[in-house]
Amino acid sequence: MGDYEDFVRGQLPRLLRYATMLTGEREQAADLVQDVLVKLYGRWRRISDLDYRERYVLRMVTNGYLSWRRSTAARLVAVGEVPDEVRGDDFASEHAAREDMWQRLAGLPRRQRTVLVLRYYEQFDDAEIAELLGCARATVRAHAHRALTTLRNGLAVERMAEVRES
Amino acid sequence: MDIEKLIAETFRAHEHEAPDGDAVLAAARERVDRRRFVRSRPLLVAAAAAVLTVVAVVVVGADRSVRQADQTAARGSEAAAPQVVQDLKMPFSLGWLPQGSAAYSLERMAAVPAPEDPSLPLFGGEYQLTVTTGGQKLYVGVQELKMSPPEGAVFKSGPGRAVTVAGRRGVESANPGGEHGYELYLAHPDRGSLYVHVSGNVAPARLVEVGRRIAENVRFPGSATVTPTFGLHDLPPDRRICGFGVQPPSDHVPKPITEYNLGTCTDARDIVVQTRFEQPLGTAGRLVLGRATREVSVDGYHTLWVLDAVDDTSIAIAGHVPMTELYDIADRLVLPS
Repeated sequence: MGDYEDFVRGQLPRLLRYATMLTGEREQAADLVQDVLVKLYGRWRRISDLDYRERYVLRMVTNGYLSWRRSTAARLVAVGEVPDEVRGDDFASEHAAREDMWQRLAGLPRRQRTVLVLRYYEQFDDAEIAELLGCARATVRAHAHRALTTLRNGLAVERMAEVRES
Repeated sequence: MDIEKLIAETFRAHEHEAPDGDAVLAAARERVDRRRFVRSRPLLVAAAAAVLTVVAVVVVGADRSVRQADQTAARGSEAAAPQVVQDLKMPFSLGWLPQGSAAYSLERMAAVPAPEDPSLPLFGGEYQLTVTTGGQKLYVGVQELKMSPPEGAVFKSGPGRAVTVAGRRGVESANPGGEHGYELYLAHPDRGSLYVHVSGNVAPARLVEVGRRIAENVRFPGSATVTPTFGLHDLPPDRRICGFGVQPPSDHVPKPITEYNLGTCTDARDIVVQTRFEQPLGTAGRLVLGRATREVSVDGYHTLWVLDAVDDTSIAIAGHVPMTELYDIADRLVLPS
């Protein structure tokens, strides 16, 4: 099983980053990937010679996240109308904007967040995401659309509140 | 604003929060790595089947029970004697194999605790064997996958299709004619799946027929036993055998391998006891059963080597426990006379 070790060592940094993007938390990411490594060991005999084993393991992490039993953070409920445009420089800083977005991403349903991670972090196209998630491309687009709408609405609502307060 | 750009930047900005790989790998190792076998891919391992002595069996009927009953009866007198290497009971039996000479290349049982419920093992029993008839070879793997329902099956050979075998739902490979052969995930009577993999130089339809029939005839819990090269007796109250494995010699393994995992079977911290071929370093320890020993300790992980314990092969006893506990286990070894 030396090839298992080699494979895991080669894939581990990427898997941990990916898991961090999915879970949003270092500890959960570590637990998730650890679980996957345990399962991978049991299946290694069957997948060691697969051409797409990297993708296979990525799918294991994805499925592990989607079936994760731990409770998710409270979800953001977006209300209100969307202004025509929200300017990024309205935020105090880019850093603050990213931290705000990080919190909003944490509030998305897992499947929506997964689609966003795969699309905007892993740079997968919708066909690849569909294959990884085992769903239709239209479903991927629907998840992405809902997620982006939620995030845009949330930003818009907050922006309107700031305008009212000022 | 470009929200998609912001999302991408947000993800990249948090890359540095990823956990340390070494720590995660070490934790995973604690759970599985110490039950590793020096094994190659099953189809290659099977080529060494001719040298098997422990588990080789000739199957002469096309539809009959396999060796378990005979083996159990033949070994009954041995099991009753103390200080004799005891046979180990497998979690399930193969009730049918195709006609031919069957040689087992791996038999093991692993009870890896599930993270969400440690009382539920993730894996179970596993067999790897080759059945030879004339110039035809069938490579067979049968494994319990307690963590994976059939719906979660992923096939080497492409998409799967739903199937019902012996009244149980399952998913089988839709393309058994490919290089990866036939795979079947059948609902396990307990939970998860029973995985059957059959490949070889026969027609795809034959692979399907054999795979389904093997799955149909698997018996839970069955009566199959395996014979290790060494044993253990009178384990401490807080230790029991959570997993074991027996692997015959092959091109990649010079001598038989036997391995035990000892623990509570509800957590990942265990002691592994296994035959090892390398020459250990470390410092000399006290004699165990008249054999010289070596002690090795790395970052709290201790290994006690009992040299020349089985046919000039050492036994390594290792774990994140004090060396005194390893000696305690070593004193309970049952070595062949």
